[in-house]
Amino acid sequence: MSPACTPVAGRIEHGTAPDGTARVSMTVGPGEPVFPGHYPGFPIFPGVCVIEFLHRGALAAAPEPDHTWVLSGIESARFTNPVFPGDTLTADLTWRRDGADGRCSASVTGPRGGVARIALRFEDEGAR
Amino acid sequence: MPDTQPTPLDLEDLRRTIAEVFCVDPGEVTDDTRFVEDLGGDSLLALEVIVALEKKYSVRFAESDVRGLTTLPRTYDVLADKLGAEG
Amino acid sequence: MTAIFAGAAELKRRLPHRHPMLLLDRVVEVEPGARLIARKAVTCNEPWYDRLADDAAERDHDYPAVLLVESCCQAAGLLATWDDPVPDARGDRVMLFGGISGVRFTGRVRPGDVVEHQVRLTRSFADTVIFEGRSAVGDETVMEIEQLVIAFRPGSGLATAAPATADRA
Repeated sequence: MSPACTPVAGRIEHGTAPDGTARVSMTVGPGEPVFPGHYPGFPIFPGVCVIEFLHRGALAAAPEPDHTWVLSGIESARFTNPVFPGDTLTADLTWRRDGADGRCSASVTGPRGGVARIALRFEDEGAR
Repeated sequence: MPDTQPTPLDLEDLRRTIAEVFCVDPGEVTDDTRFVEDLGGDSLLALEVIVALEKKYSVRFAESDVRGLTTLPRTYDVLADKLGAEG
Repeated sequence: MTAIFAGAAELKRRLPHRHPMLLLDRVVEVEPGARLIARKAVTCNEPWYDRLADDAAERDHDYPAVLLVESCCQAAGLLATWDDPVPDARGDRVMLFGGISGVRFTGRVRPGDVVEHQVRLTRSFADTVIFEGRSAVGDETVMEIEQLVIAFRPGSGLATAAPATADRA
């Protein structure tokens, strides 16, 4: 269940890592809609779009998928390397329920190593 | 919002604060965990440690103090000096 | 008519971002080195709504949360460089989004809303500046940011990391 309206157009691949944890990935195509303005002639995938990649990946791999999970916060996000057109982003997700809420954290990696460490919080709006 | 009474310095409390900045469980911040080598700390994280300590203990750091904040015990000592000095 | 410290033209002189990622419309208050207030109007013509189905529900028009964060980050970037603008993403000194923590989304933003970002500079170091922020629509808080870290790095660092294709993209 992807958010209806998102600034990241790429397709999210949802699989599992060798150790069984959920793994999501996406190739950052040169046609991503943010690139013309970020920045003209020097496309760099914005940090918030790396967060959005994890947001959409977390929803794709959410536990209790019949529940409606809605992003309620960003506990933390730290960026270590820039992302450019053509890069493939990968994240192994750690999803856990935290009372009524959910928490999904991951290290996002790209072709040149670590890109970001992000922890998101979700509200559970109940079973659909 | 008046400045609340600064927190007394306590090793376990400091362990939790450091763990929070590095987004790891407190158990992963042992006495010989090295922030850079073991927790992947970089220059930005080091400054975030400073900001967290300044807020919690109502002390002021210079940016150069970052070099001393390499492990939990070292951070405790630097803080103890500062609190002692400013106490 | 509130004072305008920076309108669209001035924003383009101060920020490298352009359509569709120039996510501020006006600076209405600034105290250099301390705090700044900027606005972003959300309309039905935001490019992201273009891909919605025609029968999409009201709720599908929630403005993307991560773009609220980006919009607020741009306000912080303006404050960080008010007296020394960094308008070119490839200049000798570039502004990078270092990190963020303690973000809470407390309200929805829909077309017709004007979001007001209030950012406060809490600590500055040689090449790193730290902010806190609060965003509201009218008097309803829609987002709070406990800590936002913006780092300045030499331009060469970013440009050389870019694979050759980046320039021709």
